[in-house]
This record gives sequence, structure tokens and C-alpha cells, in this order.
Amino acid sequence: MIEPSLELYGDAYERVDQQLQDLLDTTGVRYGLLVDRNGFVLSHKEALWAPRPPALDSVATLVASNAAATAALANLLGERTFSEQIHQGENGTLYVESVGDQTLLTLIFDASVPLGKVKVYAKKTVTQIAAILDELKDAPTPQLGEDFNKGVNALLDDLLG
Amino acid sequence: MSTINFAAREINCKIVYYGPGMSGKTTNLKHVFSRVPGHLRGDMVSLATEDERTLFFDFLPLDLGTVQGFKTRFHLYTVPGQVFYNASRKLILRGVDGIVFVADSAPDRLRANAESMRNLRENLAEHGIDVREVPIVLQINKRDLPNALPADMIRAVIDPGKELTMFEAMSDKGVGVFETLKTVSRLVLERLSKTR
Repeated sequence: MIEPSLELYGDAYERVDQQLQDLLDTTGVRYGLLVDRNGFVLSHKEALWAPRPPALDSVATLVASNAAATAALANLLGERTFSEQIHQGENGTLYVESVGDQTLLTLIFDASVPLGKVKVYAKKTVTQIAAILDELKDAPTPQLGEDFNKGVNALLDDLLG
Repeated sequence: MSTINFAAREINCKIVYYGPGMSGKTTNLKHVFSRVPGHLRGDMVSLATEDERTLFFDFLPLDLGTVQGFKTRFHLYTVPGQVFYNASRKLILRGVDGIVFVADSAPDRLRANAESMRNLRENLAEHGIDVREVPIVLQINKRDLPNALPADMIRAVIDPGKELTMFEAMSDKGVGVFETLKTVSRLVLERLSKTR
């Protein structure tokens, strides 16, 4: 398979979380997510003052699908990729930037936050998160354990009959 | 491929419903959405045309619960079945962990079933995935059609080697929907634990 699984371990996870938190504190962004390109949320942070966030699973899936479609468009136009996507509405903005080949930094903020400022700080965050993810390439692969299958089958019986 | 977050103790897997147009892929997801308790599933997202044909995909997140301390979650997707949406189908197969192939029992859809399976093999190959590497379950849908073809005849064109687990279904009535999902889920998680 060409798509490797992505695994975040304790310390790395906390450092990624901290990067997102710092970015939110500095810029006034409402929600920050790290999403993998298969559409799963790896990490998310929200500002203390932010209202209840939208369904993060749906946001991550649509962001990843949009990025995939955008990448396909880039290829059709002779580009390797388009590294960022910006969607601006009347009241808010969705900003997505690639972090390496596997993940997407996703930021949601309202109209009072200057896009230029977000872009400047986001690029620094992208560099730092990319370095953390790069360290994980050499981490050992943990095992799920012998009893994992039994537990899974019991859950499937409960949920699906 | 599955995303495992050891820090957050989460396992996420992606299951894709594939098959020709109008075979009942979205109906499968709608039934799961209607029957699974609200606290175990998220919102269903449908990117459809005005006449409710799937344009890009349908999406439904489903929580299985916690296994050995890992919150285990499935993301269910459908692909658009119509032939001209192949670019979308290809994108949605990215990172797939398991596939439900939904075949149509109508006599005039036999060729469409075969072409869709061939298209699946081609699109998986473009992602570098051998069709034998990924768990696939075959669902023969619309068994209640008055002129439904025999299931064995449909299987003969899709899965001549009889390698896939097969279910007969009537997805609009919910028949066979959960059995299919349970089997593909089990295969996906078995494979995950074997490779670790």
C-alpha cells in the first residue's frame, strides 16, 4: 500500500497539541485541527471562547476529500500540488495547509482575524509539526495484543446483532 | 489504511461501499444511520445531485466502542456509481481498509456489475493496492425484484473464484445490511491485529 498508517505517540501528541494551542493563542483562530489525508482527526484544539464546534468527523472528511480533489486538479494543470486552500465566507474563513505528505493543518476563524496574520503564523506551525511527525518515522510499531480480536467481536455482536 | 493514535487511544478504519449506479449503496448507509443509536454515530454527510444521486460520496462515522482501551471508529463511505464519476471514486478509495461491493440483481445490470468490479480493481491498483490485500464482502442487493437473477449467476461474473463472503440483501428493507457490515468490520479488524 502506498498510504502508510500514521501513529501519534504520547510525547509527540502533546507537542502537536501545544503547537495548535500556541497558534490559536497567537492568532485568535477559533478551531485548529490536524487532519490526516484519509479524513481522520489526529488532534484538535478550540479557543476557550469558541462556541460548540461543528462535527469534527465531517469537517475532517470534507477537508481531506477537498484536498484530494484539489491535488488531482493540480496534477491536471501540471502542478505537483496546491499546498494551501482558503475558503472565505461572509463571517468566517477555512484555511487548510499541507503538513508534509500525510496531514493537513485546518484552521477555522471569524472575519475579525486577519488572514495574512494567520498565514504567517500557520507556516511556522506547519514547519514545527512537520518536524515532530518526521521524528515518528523511526518509532517502533506497538502491538495491539492477543485479546484485541475477542474484544472486537464482542463489540460487533453488541452493535450489529 | 487505518489510523492508530496511540496517544489518544483511537483506532480509525475506512470502509467503502462500491458498486454500479443505483445498486443501493446509499440505501445501506441510510439504514445503518436510522438504526444505530445516536450516541454511536455521527452526522451523515451526503454530497448528492438534485435528484439524490451521489455526486462525490456519502459519509457516516460509526463508533464501535472501546477495545483494550482503544476507542474504535469506522468511517463508512459510498462512492458515486455512475460511470463518469470515476475521478471521485478513485479519490475515495485512498486509505481504504475494507470494501463492500453492492451488486444489483436486475437482469439489465449484470454487465454494470461486472464493469464496476473491474473498475474497482483498476482503481485499487492505481493506489498501489492489490485487490487480494483488502477485505471485500459481496452484497447481492435487491433480491426482492420479481425478475431478480439467481445470486450464483451474478456472483459468477463478479467473483468467479467464489473467494468473497457473500450476502443476499434487500437494503431498502434493511435485510442483510448489518450482516454485511459486521462481516467486513470483522475482517478489517482481524487484519489489523494480524499485521501488528
